Amino acid sequence: MTSNNLDILKALEAKNFQIQIGKLGTAAIQAPVGKHRDALKILLDLDEKTAVTAITGIDLGASVGVYYHVRTSNSFVTIQCEVPKDKPTLATITDLVPGAAFHELEVTDLLGVVFEGHPNPGRLVLPDTWPEGVYPLRKDVKINEVKLNTPSSEDVKLSDGSGLVKIVIGPHHPALLEPEKFAVLVDGETVKKVEPRIGYVHRGVEKASESKTYLQDVYLVERICGICNSCHATAFVEAVEKILKTDVPPRAKYIRTIILELNRLHSHLLTLGHAGLEIGYETLFQYFWRDREPIMDLTEMITGNRVISSSLTVGGVRRDIKEADIPKIKATLTELRKKIPFYKQMYENEPSIRMRMQKVGVLAREDALKLCVVGPVARGSGVDIDVRKDEPYEAYGEIPFKEVVYTAGDTWARMNVRMDEVEESINIIEYALDHLPSGAYRVKVPRVVPPGEAVNRVEAPRGELFYYVKSNGTAFPERVKVRTPTFANIPAFLKTAIGESIADVPPNFVSLDPCFSCTDR
Amino acid sequence: MIDYLWLIFRVLVFPGFTFILFLTMFCDWIERKIEARMQNRMGPSFTGPSGILQPLADFIKLLTKEEITPNESRKSIFRFAPFFAFSVLIFALCFLPIDGASVIPNVSFGGDLIFVMALISVANFLLFLSGWSSSNPYSSIGAARVLTQFLGYDIPLLMLALAPAFLAGSLTIATIVARQWIPFVVLAPWAFIFFIITMQAELEKDPFDIPHAESEVVAGYETEYSGGKLAFLKLARDVQIVFGASLVTVLFLGGTNGPAFFGLPELWSTLWFVLKVVAVIVISEYMTVLFARLRIDQIVRANWKFMLPLSVLSLLLTIGLAVWVYPMV
Amino acid sequence: MVNITTWARVKSPWVLHFNSGACNGCDIEVVALLTPKYDVERFGIKLEPSPRHADVLLTTGCVTEQCAERLRRIYEQMPQPKFVVAIGACACSGGVFAGNYSVVGGVDKVIPVDAYIPGCPPRPEAIIDGVVKLLNSIQQPKTKEKAKSDDEQ
Repeated sequence: MTSNNLDILKALEAKNFQIQIGKLGTAAIQAPVGKHRDALKILLDLDEKTAVTAITGIDLGASVGVYYHVRTSNSFVTIQCEVPKDKPTLATITDLVPGAAFHELEVTDLLGVVFEGHPNPGRLVLPDTWPEGVYPLRKDVKINEVKLNTPSSEDVKLSDGSGLVKIVIGPHHPALLEPEKFAVLVDGETVKKVEPRIGYVHRGVEKASESKTYLQDVYLVERICGICNSCHATAFVEAVEKILKTDVPPRAKYIRTIILELNRLHSHLLTLGHAGLEIGYETLFQYFWRDREPIMDLTEMITGNRVISSSLTVGGVRRDIKEADIPKIKATLTELRKKIPFYKQMYENEPSIRMRMQKVGVLAREDALKLCVVGPVARGSGVDIDVRKDEPYEAYGEIPFKEVVYTAGDTWARMNVRMDEVEESINIIEYALDHLPSGAYRVKVPRVVPPGEAVNRVEAPRGELFYYVKSNGTAFPERVKVRTPTFANIPAFLKTAIGESIADVPPNFVSLDPCFSCTDR
Repeated sequence: MIDYLWLIFRVLVFPGFTFILFLTMFCDWIERKIEARMQNRMGPSFTGPSGILQPLADFIKLLTKEEITPNESRKSIFRFAPFFAFSVLIFALCFLPIDGASVIPNVSFGGDLIFVMALISVANFLLFLSGWSSSNPYSSIGAARVLTQFLGYDIPLLMLALAPAFLAGSLTIATIVARQWIPFVVLAPWAFIFFIITMQAELEKDPFDIPHAESEVVAGYETEYSGGKLAFLKLARDVQIVFGASLVTVLFLGGTNGPAFFGLPELWSTLWFVLKVVAVIVISEYMTVLFARLRIDQIVRANWKFMLPLSVLSLLLTIGLAVWVYPMV
Repeated sequence: MVNITTWARVKSPWVLHFNSGACNGCDIEVVALLTPKYDVERFGIKLEPSPRHADVLLTTGCVTEQCAERLRRIYEQMPQPKFVVAIGACACSGGVFAGNYSVVGGVDKVIPVDAYIPGCPPRPEAIIDGVVKLLNSIQQPKTKEKAKSDDEQ
């Protein structure tokens, strides 16, 4: 069932929670220590699509703030708690929302808050050699004074005595483009358990962003992920513009939309090709990547660089789209549109693709809701969430497009979602080009951002991307918190791999489109 | 004396070892070019004219690399399995008539078809041993998959290979070739098609190449090998593919039969043989490029549910054809 | 004999791609090299899955603390003669992430590097140019001495 915002506010006020409308989303709820579970329970009871988007930890001086960002069908609510630094413990919420497990572990790693009752405590993003008791995001930690432990070289044990063989996928493995370790415990050829160890690509972006100016931070957050770089830049600059209360000119909004959709196109074509590689279908991989190259050329024509475009800035975009380029863009998109029926009928009719992808990695709708998955993974399991429709940003409110949802929940459904979204993206770009408003593409903004905080969500190709930015009136931000879509989707993989053959692990894995540089930051 | 020199020339140079080696490299180049062109690319282009020397460059480079033997491996098996696999396959090829007579003269005996099929199994088993002796989890899984696959598909392979034997009335390869005044592919096309598919599974090529699945088992049984041993392991696989194609040629396409126009009839026989082998490799490579990879349980199920009954049916049909129809032709 | 060896090594460089903490930008440009528009198989370059089969290690990304040991192990597993190419600004020197708390720095802080390709990310043409320059330098005797000194280390 879906909720009405008024019902939520009434139920929360009935339990004597302090509510501030319009702060940090639709509303911010102040919850004293121990009461955050009650507020969450009210939201969960009222709406089936309630999910935890992120948990932000922030050093507030004498205490540590823990903010639970919760999304429902029609609203986005932040539950704010504070724990004192000498006794930073909070009750866990993983029994109510299993998908919050990773979020809590990250706050423990980076800020030292202990969540009592967590099912799998342990290190998440920090390296193994990081000393205990040092929490990087606390303000009193000086980076160059931290002494790391010496690395221990542990040998891989093939079995742990329970009769199961441990196959370690990663950190270096041809199936993964990036390093992460997944220890898959198998019995014969059936997977019984998956133990992840992420953090191999953790570069400490959130801490680094606190010592760079806002403009330098745009370059930094773009490089969290090269594939969805424009989405990170968009989410960050929109959050800063919310604090500044600046309005971006309409032409800039449309140009940003075009750049974002080009980003989505190249990312989906990449994944569709990569999936072919995982099931041994190299020909499909080559064809998809051959058709992806014109999109990279388009991005270069509009922004000046093939991959990391650096074209967004606080107040608009840095470059305008020339009138002479518009027919070229449309010609390329028409060519791509002609190829889509070929790929669609491949996915429909090719028997080896159907054998490898159908009924593989099935994620049921209830599990998708409980694990708080986002993006094509959610839309492939029948959960219709899409930030472009739920909370339109940039020019998406004015452009008509379809939200693609499939209900089968298997790898094949997720791939089909991405295929259809390719077509929708082409439609969006063509509409935006036809209706491009004239005028300025950039406004001047003050160098110093006044104190304030804001949350912002953007639909990256992999799902909902969340940013929380707090400024303290100086040239550097106080806190930048990033929650990427793959971070929310990995627990779904840990669940869907169980019970299936080890040979199904690569296609299942690629169908959730993992991007570990996003996950680890 | 001249006879012995002639024997050595035949075995070592033409049509023996050196010729087979260059034929293998040539077929490897053809495979890579077809795969590249089907994928809209160029493939090897600059090593020699049109990249034809690329497999040779690969082989020589591997021979000059450092050879690493892992401490935990079973060293003697690890060191010798690749050479034995390669040697067994070359030995098996010596039974096939490449220039009209078998490479080692007068070596054919009654029933050498069965002997040659057994040699394929021995070679596959040696490849399994090379993976098993590496003591690497990926090699072990790759090796186990090789075993599962070839043990299963050997049975339909043998049954389908008996079909031309029935049509020719003999189990000797030389006789089967000699009696193919119509190539058997025309008389028993069903056996030909099933044999090519089963051979695809036996040679571990797409859609049956799960033992070499990069995304799951890194490099399968080849993972721990480097240097010269890796060169011979890869060469063993390529010779296996040429051997499979040669078997198809000899059993169904008439082997070396073909018109000889001028000059030495042996050279014309070799030319026809090579052309037919290349044709089979082209068909096989098209199958490789056009399909995705099946899972091991799907491959095993395909064997026992489809290939085996189909091969029995095909054998019965061919026996019927041989006994009643063929003598009337 | 020597010339044939060098010829074979230059005409058949098998690469291994390892990401030691990159943002994926350089990685997708490296994978794009295998696709029809750039097609490095023309030069004989093949992407190999196992370190034991490869001659050239293409690393992307700055080296994170967690990955440093793994990078070193992969380098040691490769047989001689081997070469390392650092692709991208992060692999050359740490890029925008230099100085962060879990970043060691550029690749040359962990293993010896033979070629640096700057860029963020470098275009596929730039990567091909860098690899070709490395291959050309192998053909000269200066590099053979470097290979010998690697053996002694």
